[in-house]
Amino acid sequence: MENSALKTKNVTKYFHDPVTIPVLKNINLDVKKGEFVSIVGKSGCGKSTLLYVLSTMDSDYEGELEINGTLVTGLSLNALAKIRNESIGFVFQFHYLLPDFSCLKNVMIPGLRLGKYSVKEVEQRAYEKLKMFGVEELALKNANRLSGGQQQRVAIARALINDPAIIMGDEPTGNLDSKNTGIVFDLFQKLSKEYGQTLITVTHDEDFAKRSDRIIEMADGEILKH
Amino acid sequence: MKISVNTEIALTYLSSRKKQTAVAAMGVMFGISMFIFMQSLMKGTNDYFEKASFSSTAHIRMYSENKVADAHMLNSFLKDNSEKILINPKQLTQSQGITNPYGIIQNIKKNKQVVAVTPQVTATVIYSSGSVNINGTVAGVSIDEEDKMFDVQTNMVTGDLHDLNRVNNGLLIGKGVADKLSLHVGDNITVRAGTGSPMIMRVIGIFATTIKQIDESKSYANIVQAQNLLGKDRSYVTDIKVNLADYNNAPKVARDLETITGYKAEDWVQSNEQLKAAFKIRAIILNSVIAVILLVAGFGIYNILNMTIYEKIKEIAILKATGFSGGSVVSIFLQQAAYIGVMGGFVGVIFGFVLTFMVSKIYIGAGTLKYLPMSFYVPHYIEAVTFGILTTIAAGYFPARKASKVDPVSIIRG
Ligand SMILES: Nc1ncnc2c1ncn2[C@@H]1O[C@H](COP(=O)(O)OP(=O)(O)OP(=O)(O)O)[C@@H](O)[C@H]1O
Ligand SMILES: [Mg+2]
Repeated sequence: MENSALKTKNVTKYFHDPVTIPVLKNINLDVKKGEFVSIVGKSGCGKSTLLYVLSTMDSDYEGELEINGTLVTGLSLNALAKIRNESIGFVFQFHYLLPDFSCLKNVMIPGLRLGKYSVKEVEQRAYEKLKMFGVEELALKNANRLSGGQQQRVAIARALINDPAIIMGDEPTGNLDSKNTGIVFDLFQKLSKEYGQTLITVTHDEDFAKRSDRIIEMADGEILKH
Repeated sequence: MKISVNTEIALTYLSSRKKQTAVAAMGVMFGISMFIFMQSLMKGTNDYFEKASFSSTAHIRMYSENKVADAHMLNSFLKDNSEKILINPKQLTQSQGITNPYGIIQNIKKNKQVVAVTPQVTATVIYSSGSVNINGTVAGVSIDEEDKMFDVQTNMVTGDLHDLNRVNNGLLIGKGVADKLSLHVGDNITVRAGTGSPMIMRVIGIFATTIKQIDESKSYANIVQAQNLLGKDRSYVTDIKVNLADYNNAPKVARDLETITGYKAEDWVQSNEQLKAAFKIRAIILNSVIAVILLVAGFGIYNILNMTIYEKIKEIAILKATGFSGGSVVSIFLQQAAYIGVMGGFVGVIFGFVLTFMVSKIYIGAGTLKYLPMSFYVPHYIEAVTFGILTTIAAGYFPARKASKVDPVSIIRG
């Protein structure tokens, strides 16, 4: 059985604005199932850009991307959307919740989209996820009435709703105090160790990075060390 | 009921901007109610004029065309095909009147579309009373059948039309004729047809239609009296009038009757070109007004959705990032358009009916037209709703497609 959760072959990406410059240069990466890796590097070195490529949201790159052993490069947008819904949870650098909905609904929506569980079950699961991050009492509050840190925790809960095989976070703890950062880290570790979920997080938090399984260091669109 | 997540999101977006939703729905409501109102007014008016026109015109009139002798006739008579030149051709004598009218009537009655057939003897006459002469026509009819086909009774001013059957030389005259000759019921009138001798007839009634021209020239007599006027025998008939179950079939049935009988059959469309033209012009006006109304309503929806998408572009990006496909996004926004359309449509139908009903009570009082003619015709309501929903969906589709094309990465990057 293929043991790789995510693999890239010579991924290269250019930005054409204002001049054509490569932001990602020949990225070769192999993340194993159940691995908890951190990506670190200076601001502007291309971490977020890489993560968008890995998450299938950005399909404008050269090279190949495999997820769970299947080549996803060149798949249709609809097929990619399905893969994201089913097997990728994403926490954005700036927590993006839907402001017209309650926290609970925000967490539920990707689950409802997947349609694997009934509405009741999805709601039940959403509550559990919120509880893990200590924001369950905010469940019925509108998402735009939350503090930054609270929003970020709800966003992490949303990323977990479909039990995705891969969870990606772009500085998922950027807005959290050390106590909550600890909670998130412990939970991520538990997901990787106990449930075999793969975690790829971009972080500036050295401590957070050091405690993860592996650190991937980036500079100027290249991987220095992994 | 299990509602899909797309529906839930669509409804949340609509209810989180209630004011704009209401405004857009009101646009649709206005469009649909105006559609219904205009259609009802138009159909009511058309029906009224159609009815008015059929109160004097049969759906089909059959008569013998005045034919002029030609070489073709001569050839078929002589059974030889050589070229012939006719010098000074004359009108054929048999072109006056219809031969064997009652046999032809039996034949016409066999056509399933035909509901009424009646013979008529039309005589061009000069009415005189005292020293005043006016031109006109006498329609020799069976007044009972005439009444059934054209509802003569409603046009009666004074007198009893059935007296035509009882009084031997009775004449039912138009109001214009009566006024010009200063005649009243019971008075005598001298009537002279071109070929016959003058006859003294008795005014038994006066009628008034909405058409002045008719009132100033027409009169009804018993068919036998008209034949006498012209000095013809009992088998002489100039016209056969035919009414159909559906007058829209008149042109086709007329062609059929022509082939069967060999006489000219003129349908009401031919004899009422101007009526048909008026219908067409009104239809064009109506359709342009409706198109404008629906366009405005459509723009309302287009606008609100475009604004929603502009405001919610980040959220659309999130939805796509969490696995909503382009199709789901289209469905979310198209559903918003559809709900606006349904809300507006529902209220619009009610409002359209109320408006039509209220306007139908406006008193006009011109001639036989008492109230504004409005029709209450169910297909109008169905059409209005169908058009409304189609416009809504068309107006919603373009913004929805734009939303589905949002590239999540470029938005989330900021
Ligand atoms: N749309 C764009 N067009 C052109 N250049 C871009 C675009 N988006 C990002 N860049 C550039 O690409 C490089 C990589 O950006 P990226 O967001 O991946 O950095 P990052 O490593 O995530 O930084 P940070 O730690 O600050 O989040 C940067 O130099 C940035 O200026
Ligand atoms: Mg970044």
